Amino acid sequence: MEKHITEETIIELLKEVYDPELGINIVDLGLIYEVKINGGHVYVRMTLTTPGCPMHTAIVGGVHRALEGEPGIQSVDVHLVWEPRWTPDRMTPEGREALGYF
Amino acid sequence: MVSRLPFYFLLTGLICFALFQIGTLSDFSAWLYEFSMEPRYPTGWAKAHLHVLGWATMIAMGAVYQLVPVVLQNHKLFSERLGYIQYGVFTFGFAGLMIGFQQMNVLMIGGFATIAFLGILIFAGNIGMTLARANLWNHVTVSCAIAVGHLVLTGVAGMLMGLNFAFEWLGTFHDQLLGAHLWFGAIGWFGFLITGFSYKLFPMFYLSHGHSEVLQRWVMGFLFSGVWMGVISFLLNAPAWSHWIGLLCTAAGFTIYVYHLGQICKSRHKANPGAGILWSWLLAQGIAVIVVLLVIVSAVFPDLILSPRMTAVIGWMYLWGWVGMTIMAYLSKIIPFLWWTYRYGSRVGQVKIPTMADLIDDRKVNILLMAVAVSLFILLIGFGWNLPLVLSIGGSLLAVSALVYVGLLAAVFTK
Repeated sequence: MEKHITEETIIELLKEVYDPELGINIVDLGLIYEVKINGGHVYVRMTLTTPGCPMHTAIVGGVHRALEGEPGIQSVDVHLVWEPRWTPDRMTPEGREALGYF
Repeated sequence: MVSRLPFYFLLTGLICFALFQIGTLSDFSAWLYEFSMEPRYPTGWAKAHLHVLGWATMIAMGAVYQLVPVVLQNHKLFSERLGYIQYGVFTFGFAGLMIGFQQMNVLMIGGFATIAFLGILIFAGNIGMTLARANLWNHVTVSCAIAVGHLVLTGVAGMLMGLNFAFEWLGTFHDQLLGAHLWFGAIGWFGFLITGFSYKLFPMFYLSHGHSEVLQRWVMGFLFSGVWMGVISFLLNAPAWSHWIGLLCTAAGFTIYVYHLGQICKSRHKANPGAGILWSWLLAQGIAVIVVLLVIVSAVFPDLILSPRMTAVIGWMYLWGWVGMTIMAYLSKIIPFLWWTYRYGSRVGQVKIPTMADLIDDRKVNILLMAVAVSLFILLIGFGWNLPLVLSIGGSLLAVSALVYVGLLAAVFTK
């Protein structure tokens, strides 16, 4: 029987993708704007902390690798957007704590 | 796929840096004493260009190749292939120029300087086309474009000096060209590049958001005025007050730059940006204070800063103290980033991989940069007060600490 993937599962999988400079996962950084599931097709709308982020390719590639091949996922579409711009307010309390400034 | 192009420049730059230090250690810094008496002699030229072209410019070119596509939001270089050709041409020309200086062979100096200059022109063409095609103009890209333009002008002034050296067309105008060469290279190329890239690196590593960027154009305006006032003053053999205004504009540029970095730091959301960024922040404050002091001192004693000894001290403070050390500090961030992207970038989200902070020990970066700063201070005392033993001790300590630092950076490639 084919496994049905849920949004919560996707979010948990995305927590395995870390910003290598900040050492915080992209979910706690607040980079994920939207996750949509249509059958086995997953759509992720996300941003980065700054336009022209040097980690662009690595992080977007990481989202693909974290999701692709998981049971119930047939395809992954990552849409990187700059609007609305990321702000630190989007971080989770865990993310803020990890940065050690708030 | 990560481009290997910046690696070639960074590794060659580090090798030149290590050779410079080994050369200094081999004669217990005795060349520095000669240099402090009269910087313009064959070994002085060779050492100065090994430091400025082989180390600082080589690294700066690698950083431009790495950071420009990033700043342009993943817009590719105009031609990666041209970048490799440029590396070959520039390195070949530079290496021949070094031998030419050492042997005091005018034909070799002229020939290889032309090849190195061709390398600079290819670099400027490649970066210029990349920026023009992306058409994404902000303070970082404009600063970079101005810096590269000044690098070309540094080369033009250097080439004219070389031609005059060979054919003696211009007589004493040679000294005026040297002044222009120094202003174009020191402030026009390195000054614009470091300040421009800092507008990207500081917010990135401090995770700063919401700060005003208005002062960036003031910094650019004052530095630009400073460079051209300085160049024109030298070329026209203008009176001292004209040189002083150039220095004043430069001091205003650095002061506003430091104030602006403070604005970026205030809007940070990360407590610790890493030792490399903290040091570059400290160094920026240091150079701003020094340039402001120079403005004051030169207003009272206009002839003092144009004496050969003072020129050597100022040159070392600026090119070693600010340009060199800022490059060293930034490399503690740039090399782990490049290596991490190359080695681990394609494995994100798949397996547990190290963070960039795991690739270099920030505590060691801090200690070694402190050792470099203290050694440089001792060296400058030796320079300023004409104390050969102090100069030798400071120079040798500087060479040792810099070599250990190169080792720390090189160790990143083993992780």
